[in-house]
Amino acid sequence: MLKKPVAPEPRAEETVPVNIRLDRLQKSFGAKQVLTEVDLTIQPGQFVAIVGKSGSGKSTLLRLIAGLEKPTGGQISFNGQSSDESDANMTMMYQDSRLLPWKTVINNVGLGLSGDWHNRAESVLESVGLLSYKEEWPSTLSGGQQQRVALARALIRKPQLLMLDEPLSALDALTRIEMQNLIEELQQENGFTALLVTHDVREAVRLADRILLIENGTITLDVDNYAPRPRDLSSQGMVALEKKVLSKIMGT
Amino acid sequence: MKKTFQTKVLPWVIPALVLLLWQVVSSLQIVSPSLFPPPTNVFLSFWGLISSFVLFEHIQISLMRAFTGLLIGGFIGLSLGILNGWSKLSYFTFDTSIQMIRNVPHLALLPLAIVWLGIGETSKIFLVALGVMFPIYINTLHGIRSVNQGYVEMGKMYGLKGWKLFRHVYLPGALPSIFVGFRYALGVMWLTLIVAETIATSDGLGYLAMNARQFMQTEVIIVTIIIYALFGKLADVIAQMGERRALRWNPTYRE
Ligand SMILES: Nc1ncnc2c1ncn2[C@@H]1O[C@H](COP(=O)(O)OP(=O)(O)OP(=O)(O)O)[C@@H](O)[C@H]1O
Ligand SMILES: [Mg+2]
Repeated sequence: MLKKPVAPEPRAEETVPVNIRLDRLQKSFGAKQVLTEVDLTIQPGQFVAIVGKSGSGKSTLLRLIAGLEKPTGGQISFNGQSSDESDANMTMMYQDSRLLPWKTVINNVGLGLSGDWHNRAESVLESVGLLSYKEEWPSTLSGGQQQRVALARALIRKPQLLMLDEPLSALDALTRIEMQNLIEELQQENGFTALLVTHDVREAVRLADRILLIENGTITLDVDNYAPRPRDLSSQGMVALEKKVLSKIMGT
Repeated sequence: MKKTFQTKVLPWVIPALVLLLWQVVSSLQIVSPSLFPPPTNVFLSFWGLISSFVLFEHIQISLMRAFTGLLIGGFIGLSLGILNGWSKLSYFTFDTSIQMIRNVPHLALLPLAIVWLGIGETSKIFLVALGVMFPIYINTLHGIRSVNQGYVEMGKMYGLKGWKLFRHVYLPGALPSIFVGFRYALGVMWLTLIVAETIATSDGLGYLAMNARQFMQTEVIIVTIIIYALFGKLADVIAQMGERRALRWNPTYRE
């Protein structure tokens, strides 16, 4: 069988998480400067949360990293290669699941894959607990289940980098906690680099190894979070961290 | 039980009453039966036309015109819709011209079609094709353009491009709209055919009706009208079945 080195195709060998470097990254839309200067290095396998007010440019940053937008200045590199040359394997999860409503659950998971992906799709659906729904239409699933399928679709490609743009903000509190556990578990297990945009500081504290705050087009807070997992959000260190990030966002 | 009455019986009550009333009124002979024949006469004439096979010949030729026109016009409309929905360049090159032609009622071209193409098959097929092309074009274009951009971006993120992006994202996304255009086009198809066949023809259902008019065979005229109605309905039912099947992922199309 012929194997071409197309970027989003999963490789046979173990996936290596990717190192990301942003160098004086800038982005404007017309006269509007969204990101003025972002310098950032993300270690392979790190779970990074990005917080910031609405409109601060969090999604734009992800879209730049994903190559869906072109930067107006600066550089993005993956494992030392510039983003044009790199074939880093990355996937994205959105606030809305963006499952194609005309494809069954399993066909959504296998979207764009070639070769024999059915077995892999089944096992990844099993890991998000939805194997029995594989022949259903997405519209018959609950919001939380749809996001699980979207997660399965992102994971089947064995991404080196998983980007999550507020994937849980449309879910109810209980489902959200379940999903946080699932994402944490799967990230620990697979070891990919994760970039999570969220409005929920507790979520950031709960999941991330590192929390970034974006304000006025640049990173104004960058804190590490070494707390062991699974994390107890009511512990002193967690509460203090949450307070620190929140008060910085609120400017108090 | 109540449900089946509502869906299966109730829709036919008014047609049955109308038929009954028609029979009663015409048997009173207020108007001459040759102008206003009772349903029984219409049925007898229907039977006569069937058993002499005359009807089938005319139906066959009419259906051939209808579907050839639909195929040609539908293909052109669909292709142009997809092309112009897909490519900005193509859209700006063609859309204004297409819209200009669309604004001419296509039946107004009937005399011109006869002059240019004669009263043979070509002029009728041409008019049907022209008529069905626009609703299919407009709805395909609209469907392609209104595909959720979130799906498109996601698809690209997951490695779809070109034909794959079209086949997995754009086409299914546009399909509901394409079906709307197609079903509308079926109506246009019959309408165009009826008009074209009554004016310029020597066979087909329209000719049958016009010929009957000369000999004051009112019941034959009514038979042809009923056949048009039946085929119109049949075509729509088949299209609807196709629509339900193709769009069964969409909760709006599931019962
Ligand atoms: N394609 C675009 N064209 C013009 N302006 C844009 C575009 N995309 C984003 N913007 C602008 O860039 C700014 C940042 O948008 P972005 O979506 O990155 O914010 P965000 O931090 O993700 O906000 P939210 O938390 O509400 O999702 C906004 O002011 C937005 O209007
Ligand atoms: Mg956003």
